[in-house]
This record gives sequence, structure tokens and C-alpha cells, in this order.
Amino acid sequence: MNKIYLWGVVIVAAMLGFTYVSVLGSKGGLNGDIINLLTVLAAAALVVITVFVVIKYVRQMQVDTATGELAEENWDGIGEYNNNVPFGWAVIFLGSMVWAMWYFLVGYPLNAFSQIGQYNEEVAAHDAKFEKKYAAITGDRLIEMGESVYLAECKVCHGLSADGIDGKAANLNQRFEARSVKYVIEHGSNNQLLGFENPMPDRNGLMNANKDYAPITDAEIDAVSAYVANGMSGAGGDVFAGVCSSCHGADGKGIDGVAPDIAEFTPALVVDVLKHGKKGAIGAMPQFDRLNEKQKEAVGAYVTSLSK
Amino acid sequence: MFHWLEKHPFFFSVTVFVVVAYAGLVEIVPSFAQQSRPVIGTKPYSTLELTGRLVYIKNSCNACHSQLIRPFKSETDRYGHYSVSGEYAYDRPFLWGSKRTGPDLMRVGNYRSTDWHDYHMKDPASVVPGSIMPKYTWLYKNIADVDTAYAEQLTIKRFFDVPYNKPLPMKDGSKQTVKLADTLAGARADALAEAQKIAADMKDQDVKDMVKAGKIPEIVALIAYMNSLK
Repeated sequence: MNKIYLWGVVIVAAMLGFTYVSVLGSKGGLNGDIINLLTVLAAAALVVITVFVVIKYVRQMQVDTATGELAEENWDGIGEYNNNVPFGWAVIFLGSMVWAMWYFLVGYPLNAFSQIGQYNEEVAAHDAKFEKKYAAITGDRLIEMGESVYLAECKVCHGLSADGIDGKAANLNQRFEARSVKYVIEHGSNNQLLGFENPMPDRNGLMNANKDYAPITDAEIDAVSAYVANGMSGAGGDVFAGVCSSCHGADGKGIDGVAPDIAEFTPALVVDVLKHGKKGAIGAMPQFDRLNEKQKEAVGAYVTSLSK
Repeated sequence: MFHWLEKHPFFFSVTVFVVVAYAGLVEIVPSFAQQSRPVIGTKPYSTLELTGRLVYIKNSCNACHSQLIRPFKSETDRYGHYSVSGEYAYDRPFLWGSKRTGPDLMRVGNYRSTDWHDYHMKDPASVVPGSIMPKYTWLYKNIADVDTAYAEQLTIKRFFDVPYNKPLPMKDGSKQTVKLADTLAGARADALAEAQKIAADMKDQDVKDMVKAGKIPEIVALIAYMNSLK
């Protein structure tokens, strides 16, 4: 009986004892849980197996003597045996080298999982579903969709109640504020509100037809700005008729392909602002062309509904 | 199995070289792919934009704001196209960030305007109710450090050959050139000219007066940088 077996038994006993104590000592112990029981059994098995494997190899080191033929070469007296590499090991080693070549050159580059590919598939699936679900959406439901898009994209500048947050952005509950009308008359405008470039001249290009085409005056600008901002009513109607109506129409509702509606919002007008952005008295609005067509149409319907 | 190699040092060396070189190629070759080049439309920062970038870093904006849009529909709906590696070609260091206390800013120039930034940096809660972002009022008083930005520009041009003063292809097919002045005085003048354009769109009268007097407050530089993020 070698002393090493005795040590093995002592260590196994000690570790099993330690396992027993730590299980009992922990809150609830085994707790009637099959997983806990299996874990403890596995721990016990590991202890026993480990100790016996260690004993085996320590014994082997104690009693084994080297056998076999030495290789010719040696390095400062340190040589090696001329034994063959185990066959199975050699097959696995060479096989993994071949696999690595294939994987680096072909497997990974050509068959790798593509995050972007998955993204494209998911977007295509979503878009198809969106198209199908909302193809025929109209009326109040379109306005509701517009409101949800508005709350996600527009409220940061125009405010929750679309009032423009104390003049920081356009108040969408009315078509115009007087300062915006005044700014456009004084500076002209090229905001592509019709969907294409069709500039409106600045004040030097605006003549009053009722006064022998005299250039518009400061007093007239103030009057007509108030008139337009007031929803096309009150004083200033005569200036509007003389200066503005030839392009914007007698009722201010615009003329197709010539000038936009300045009496009220129309969905098409809003869509053009979303597509091209806008710059005026209040500040600049960036374009929101990344909304899809249905969403733009919905925002148009929502904004139009606000001032009705 | 490789006994023969062990007995022939020359061939052993050759084999070692082949194996190491192969591992190197697998790592190096992909970085020459088109996907790793600067994306069309990416251009280096102008002097004022880079000044603003330094302000951004100085105030640790990247602690709360990321600059990396992941390829998920929920993100691309909100922030625009997902980020690709070539867009960061001129970002040294990149400011991806790792935490979004605030929203991503990778393309904030596409959907926020100069005057909005003006209101927002002064008092975030005034435009975004409930915002927990602090007020950055000192940006309206501190003078921006254009000189350091110019030094950085010179350095990256000399050592990394960043294409200043060279026509670069844009998305719409046109070419754009980002100017880098020859002298510090020239760079200051360029930054001021750019600042005047930004200040014209701002609402804060003090800032307008400062820019008119030839000084560039940090807020103007920061807005120039924000507007360049597209």
C-alpha cells in the first residue's frame, strides 16, 4: 500500500466533507430541488474522479521508465523519442488546419451572418405589411396616423399643441403669423411649396395693380400682412386684391403651378414642406423626406385639420 | 509528423513565415476593401466645425449622446440611415459613445436647425418638456478655441494626409473642397466667416453682437459641428 493512496482517501474525505458542510450551511440546503441534488452529486463525482486521476499519473511518474528509440538529433544532450504522433490526433490536427483555411478564405467571407442583410429583410417585411395595412386609410384614421407621426417627429420644434412654443417655430393652428407674411413680402420666397422652384419676388418686385403698378409701401405691407394673418379678413383686402391676388388668387387659395395656398393649409402644401424644408421669419425647418409617402400624407391631413 | 522540418532549419523558418504571413493577410486585407474607405459624401471638418467638436468633447457630450445608429428599424426610423464605418474616417477620435441618456446625434444636422439648437442649449426643457438635459449657458459666454482646432487640422493633414483643399466627391455627384488656411490668421478669418453665417440664423442677440465684434462663442462652434453631422 503506497502512501499516496492514503493521502488520496484523506483528500477525498476532506473535500466531500467540505461539500457536505457547505450544502447544509447554505440557506435552505438542498431545498428539495432536483437541480441542487444533481449539482452536489456532480461535485462529489468530480472530487473522486480528480483525486483518482491524479493518483494514477503520480504513480506512473514514480514507476514508469522511458522506452523506445531515441531520435538522431539532440540539443545539448536533450533528445526526443522517435515515436509517431498518435494517428487520431494527427488526423484532427491536419483536419482543423484544412478547416481553418476554408473558414478564413471561404466560409466566413461568403457565408457569414449579415446584420445588414437581416435589417434589409426586416425593413422589407415591415414596409410590405405597412403598405397592406394602411393602403386605404382615409379621413379620421389618416389624421390619427398624422398625429402619431407629428408627436414623434414634429413636436420637438412645433410643440405638443402645435403652437410653435412661444414663437420658436411656426404656429400650426393658423396658416400664418403677420411677421411671417411680412418677412416673405420683404425678402421674397423660394421654399418650393409647389414642389418645384418658383420664386416669389421680394418687395421690389411687388407692384400694386390698383395704383398704377406703384411698388408696395411699408404701410401696405403691414396692412396686407395683418389681412392674411387674420385669415383673409379685416382691413387690407384692397392691397391684397391689387398686389397678391394675381398669383395667389382673389381668395388666397393659390393657383395650381403658380403660387401656393396662403389662405389655409392643404395636405399637398404640407407634404411639399416636409420634402423640401423651409426657411422664413421664424427660422429654418429641415426637410423630413425620410418619412414615407403615407406618413407625409398623414401629417398633411393632421396639420390641415388643426386650423379647421 | 514534422520531424523532417525540425531537422531543416531553413525550411522550418520558411514554413513559420508562411503561417504567420497568412494570419497577417487574413487581418490586413479586409481593411483595403471599398467598405473601409471614406464613404462618398464624407468630408473632413472645417476649422469652425472642428472647434465645435472640441467643445463637444470638452463638455463630455459623448457621455450621454451616442453617435452610432444601429441597423434596427426602430433606430433608422428615428435617426436616419444606419452608420457605416467609412463615415468615421475623419473622426479622431470617433465619438460613438456607449450610453444613450439623450438621443443619438449621428445625423442631427438632418433634422434640427440652428435656431432650434440655440433655444435648446440655453434651456432644453423650453423646447422638450421634461428634458433632463442641463442648461449649457456658459457656451454663450466662453470664447471658442479656434487655434487648437487649427493646430489639430494641420497635424492631421501632415501626418494622416487628411484631404483638405482637395475636391471630394459628394452624394449628389458634385465635388466639394474643405478649405484649410495657410496661416493661423487665415484660419481665424475662415472660422469667423463661417460663424457669421451661423449667427445670422441664431436668435440670441448677445451672440450676434459677439460675432459681429469678431469673437466666436463656443455655442456657435458647437452648432456648426451639430449642423455638420449628417
